[in-house]
Amino acid sequence: MDPVKKTAKELKAERRALQERQRAEKAARAAGNAAVPSKKPASGSGASSTVGSTTATSTTATPLSETSGSTKTTDSKQRHSLTKEINNKEINNKQVDMFSHLEITKGANTGLAPKEIHPAILVLGLQFSEFKICGANARCIAALTAFQKVIQDYKTPEGTTLSRHLPTHLSPQITYLVNARPMSVGMGNAIRHLKWEISTIDIEMSDDEAKKLLCEKIDNFIRDSITVADRVIVEYGLQKIQDGDVILTYARSSVVQQLLLEAHTKGIKFKVIIIDSRPRLEGKKLLNCLVNAGINCTYAFLHAVGFAMRDVSKVFLGAHAFMSNGALYSRVGTAMVAMMAKEKNIPVIICCETYKFTDKVQLDSFVMNEQGNPNDIVNISTTLTPKPGLLSEWLNKPDLKLLNLLYDLTPSKYITTVITEVGMIPCTSVPVILREYK
Amino acid sequence: MDLEISSENVKATEDTEQFDIVKCYQKFLKEDPDVPMPIAAIESLVEVIKHSKATTLTEFMESLKDASQKLKSSVKNSISLSAGADLFLRFVTRTSHDVTNFEACKEHLMNSGKVLVEKAAAVREKIGDLGVQFIKDDATILIHSYSRVVMLLLQRAAACKKRFKVYVTESRPSCLGIRATKVLCKAGIPATVIYDTAVGYIIDKVDAVFVGAEGVVENGGLINAIGTYQLAVVAKAANKPFYAVIESYKFVRLFPLNQYDLPTHTPDLLTFPDLEHHTDLSEDEIIGNYEAINPTVDYTPPDYITLLCTDLGVLTPSGVSDELIKLYL
Repeated sequence: MDPVKKTAKELKAERRALQERQRAEKAARAAGNAAVPSKKPASGSGASSTVGSTTATSTTATPLSETSGSTKTTDSKQRHSLTKEINNKEINNKQVDMFSHLEITKGANTGLAPKEIHPAILVLGLQFSEFKICGANARCIAALTAFQKVIQDYKTPEGTTLSRHLPTHLSPQITYLVNARPMSVGMGNAIRHLKWEISTIDIEMSDDEAKKLLCEKIDNFIRDSITVADRVIVEYGLQKIQDGDVILTYARSSVVQQLLLEAHTKGIKFKVIIIDSRPRLEGKKLLNCLVNAGINCTYAFLHAVGFAMRDVSKVFLGAHAFMSNGALYSRVGTAMVAMMAKEKNIPVIICCETYKFTDKVQLDSFVMNEQGNPNDIVNISTTLTPKPGLLSEWLNKPDLKLLNLLYDLTPSKYITTVITEVGMIPCTSVPVILREYK
Repeated sequence: MDLEISSENVKATEDTEQFDIVKCYQKFLKEDPDVPMPIAAIESLVEVIKHSKATTLTEFMESLKDASQKLKSSVKNSISLSAGADLFLRFVTRTSHDVTNFEACKEHLMNSGKVLVEKAAAVREKIGDLGVQFIKDDATILIHSYSRVVMLLLQRAAACKKRFKVYVTESRPSCLGIRATKVLCKAGIPATVIYDTAVGYIIDKVDAVFVGAEGVVENGGLINAIGTYQLAVVAKAANKPFYAVIESYKFVRLFPLNQYDLPTHTPDLLTFPDLEHHTDLSEDEIIGNYEAINPTVDYTPPDYITLLCTDLGVLTPSGVSDELIKLYL
């Protein structure tokens, strides 16, 4: 007990000293300049207005009140989380104004999570924020599986029913996940479906029966809307791949990967061009998978797409979501590939399950999007060891801002057809599917 | 031995059934030259139901599917035919789910088939009434090849006392445009034949373009006689409206990505003949060769079509998918 207490006391003293120093500085500055707008952190210590590179690098003496209570974490972990907090603060100052409505998520901090968050959700939050689980389908399946665990460990408290209390029990878990990384459209639809299923549970049913039923319903949803849907999409997609085709795809879509592997198994002779982009470099995983299966592949970056498009006969793309105006919301760079293909009259085929359809309408990539961590752009390494490039000092340059967008919108006129599990439809028929099949 | 004989017997009954469907189909076409191909297909399938010896629902469905396949493969240009056949099969599947008694199901299907056929005649009238509003007085219309629906529409407009002139494309190699001109002149409508290649020349003198279709595909695109796509592109470039007039039983569940994704695609056209042999041939032989490999239909993407007049109403190309999804739900 004693050594832990000592470190807390030490830190407290250092904290107070720093606060006094900074208050003095601020008073001096306020007397000199006009009021500099200072972002007030939750504690109100007013330390963030200075770029404070010195405070950023000195890891021991920069506590912020958010972490004051977490004595359970070790010293080094505390330091790491502290630097991350400070980096996040400075990144917030360096936000591009046009995208200031899109918050850069602070990442999952398991130390700060409220105690009712289930460990499965904590793990999931970390995996999401570190991009260990990437891709709309994978995230949805992982989230639903985690919710199954939450439901299985759930106990209805006295005086209320499962169908009434379970949604309120799930809400903080969902909020925690959203804070780790914003929810995908498909996940939103899945969770809405889950809440609806919970609301239809018979009050007479016992807790165990109800929980078993809910887990079964979740399994059914995953099976019907994702696993089997993917198989049906592959069936339809095979009709459109012939011998001699040169197929171009972008980044990594799980459905397109399945389709290409299945086409190869069926003996169709085709070539694949994989276009990839930084900083995620998701195309590498797809390249690995296809080459191991024996498919003839070419790999290029997005800047070469105009050149690579010369020999292409078809473009297959995946989707994160599909809007009601027929616009495709997918990994940033997809719009460029689709536009380039349309320019050369090459058909653009999207493979998308219907659970990703939404009745929102979106006209551009600004209104709804997701900003990733700008520091991801600084690393120019293509291997696991990070290698900072010329941008490594971007925090110190006053007029330099970095923007890391994750998604973009492809207007419907660039899309030839959408393959869903209900068939091949033109992209303008998305609202029809939502209407007829719900 | 027994097995061999019985398989031969089965083959014989299959042959008589096969004989039935294709011959039956051609008989219907001969009897009424005005009957549209998909309706003749539906009538033939109704005949198959009548002669069906199946005792279970599954066997019945299988025999119908087989008959439909045989019919489709017997005709070279089978798009509108497959539209009708698929539509009827879809109707059969739906009914078989609703009606449980097998015999009652068969009765119901035969009656519905008859009703469909009877309604078909009225369909063209309905389209004529809807389409007349697009022909303004003193207009100049451009049409392509010979389409019975378009003929009916123009005759209806003339009967409504509208004055208009019609340019008709020659539509080689079938030269059906000449037949169209004869029909129009007989109905009192001034009509002139123009070369297919003169469409660009004449387009600025024209107010609207009307075409029929062999089939409408899922995204609202058309499959029609060769030259329609060219006509559509020219019309779009000259900012003239392009109207398609088509019956709803010609909606087909195809989704071509481009011209070469059609079942009627002639891949030989994309290859080049041996140079050595080609120089020795006479002109007639050369003509014979290229007439065989050139396509007879083409695909017009929905971007070039302004509106479709169908018996389900006047639709935009994206509305076609809406109707198809409802039909095949």
